[in-house]
Amino acid sequence: MRRLLPVCLGLMLSVTSVVAEARPLTDDGRLTFSGFGTLGLVHSNQGDAGFIRDISQPKGADKGWSARTDSLLGAQVGYRLTDELDAVVQGISRYGEDGNYRPEVSWAFLRYRPDPSVQLRVGRLGWDVYQLADSRYVGYAYPWARPPVDHFGILQLTHIDGGDVTFKQPVGSDLMLLKLYAGRSSSKIYLIDDLSADFDVDSVYGGHVDYETGPWRFRTSYTEVHSDVGFSGSVADQIEQIPFLALDADTVLGDIFGFDRIRLFSLGTLYDRGPLQVQVMWNRSQTSRHEGQIDSGFVSVGYRIDRVTPYVVASRVETSSTNPDNSDIDQRTWSLGARYDVTTNMALKAQFDRIDTRSPGFLWRQDDSDWNGGWSSVFSLGLDFIF
Amino acid sequence: MNRVQRLLIASTFSATLVVAVPVSADIAVVGNAGSGIDRLTQSDVVNIFMGRYRKLPTGNVALPVDSTTLKARFYRALVNKDLAEINSYWARLVFSGEASPPQQIATIDDVHQLVTQNMNALSYVDGGQVPDDMHVVLMLSE
Repeated sequence: MRRLLPVCLGLMLSVTSVVAEARPLTDDGRLTFSGFGTLGLVHSNQGDAGFIRDISQPKGADKGWSARTDSLLGAQVGYRLTDELDAVVQGISRYGEDGNYRPEVSWAFLRYRPDPSVQLRVGRLGWDVYQLADSRYVGYAYPWARPPVDHFGILQLTHIDGGDVTFKQPVGSDLMLLKLYAGRSSSKIYLIDDLSADFDVDSVYGGHVDYETGPWRFRTSYTEVHSDVGFSGSVADQIEQIPFLALDADTVLGDIFGFDRIRLFSLGTLYDRGPLQVQVMWNRSQTSRHEGQIDSGFVSVGYRIDRVTPYVVASRVETSSTNPDNSDIDQRTWSLGARYDVTTNMALKAQFDRIDTRSPGFLWRQDDSDWNGGWSSVFSLGLDFIF
Repeated sequence: MNRVQRLLIASTFSATLVVAVPVSADIAVVGNAGSGIDRLTQSDVVNIFMGRYRKLPTGNVALPVDSTTLKARFYRALVNKDLAEINSYWARLVFSGEASPPQQIATIDDVHQLVTQNMNALSYVDGGQVPDDMHVVLMLSE
């Protein structure tokens, strides 16, 4: 604690600071401590439904201001055992599936790098399902107030307990990268009013191929998630209370949502050269029933002028199936914002979203279930930092 | 003109050059004189310092070292980015557990010591002040 205290104080007081993310705690530099955080405020004009950052959040930001949606704090401890082997533990406190800020272990893994071409990791790992997905809570790492909700907000998992292996191969001055991973996981997502789905993921596996050439980074990836899904909430209770039918809510709802087997296929491109940053991504998730699928994607363009990076984002998410119901999502978002780098470890952000919700599905929290979409304006202010 | 005179003229000429270099202010990417590496391309240096691929042409693992006093100039010359952007880049890789940034060394003397003692170390110095016992693998113009 005596060592952590100066670090925290230094963070609060530092106005200009030359930061190396990993702060050595021991003289030999083997043990390091670092962290990230966001203080975020959201203002919504939508009185009929609550705005959420992702489907793990049980309650949304109602009309007016809320600090709950985006504020979070994360910390990482690293220990280098040898030049090839190190251990990383990372925790995060954010408003998530439990409806509180109880800290959770995001990652805890051993990393083995016998050679620059190969990396093996075993333990709890970030779910690297598509580009930026495993750093979506690190606000300092991206220009936006939050990653586009239409694309990242629908993700079911944050981590996997298992292993991954990454191979890198230079191709001339380009670089090719192959990553394969497998493991188990669990998570809880909130669907329509007072109905949540508990994912007990027996197996999640997949991989991706990256190709990096100059400022371009392309990725194509594939993932499968096999789960036992349990449903809870008043909707599930009502199904089981229907007289004479003796229905099992998990079976009935499982048949509607088809979450027991989800396949994700995605494409992404990042362009980063000097002041210009462009991100383009697309994902298709297929569920196991009624040819259900979730298509999402976004385009983001930012241009840095000295310390300010203005950006625009257009994103979209749409579900489809042969059995439409009120959990279907159809939404487009236009965002305009700017990031201002106050110091080399702290950034201020302001973002304005115009959201065209044609079917809210489980991307909004609503007490009034009559709301079936409309236009909303969301204004966000954020302070992102690393230490 | 005898040999001594010629030598004097030559050294005066080169001294003028040495004085002139800091004005153009390039950054020299330097390695150990005995590393066996003659030259690296700019994309090699980007791969090594940005944590993309850290294998040297000799097959050894590169040990990149950031000299904190010159860091801002170096990354501006290498990838046209300022330190906030570099930290933002590393925040993504560090907090997703994918890669680690170069070792950070505060004084030029410590950088000098590390590079001259470690065969696979790479760092950078002001282009006008390259010590004799360091080998320049790439010049970055500013």
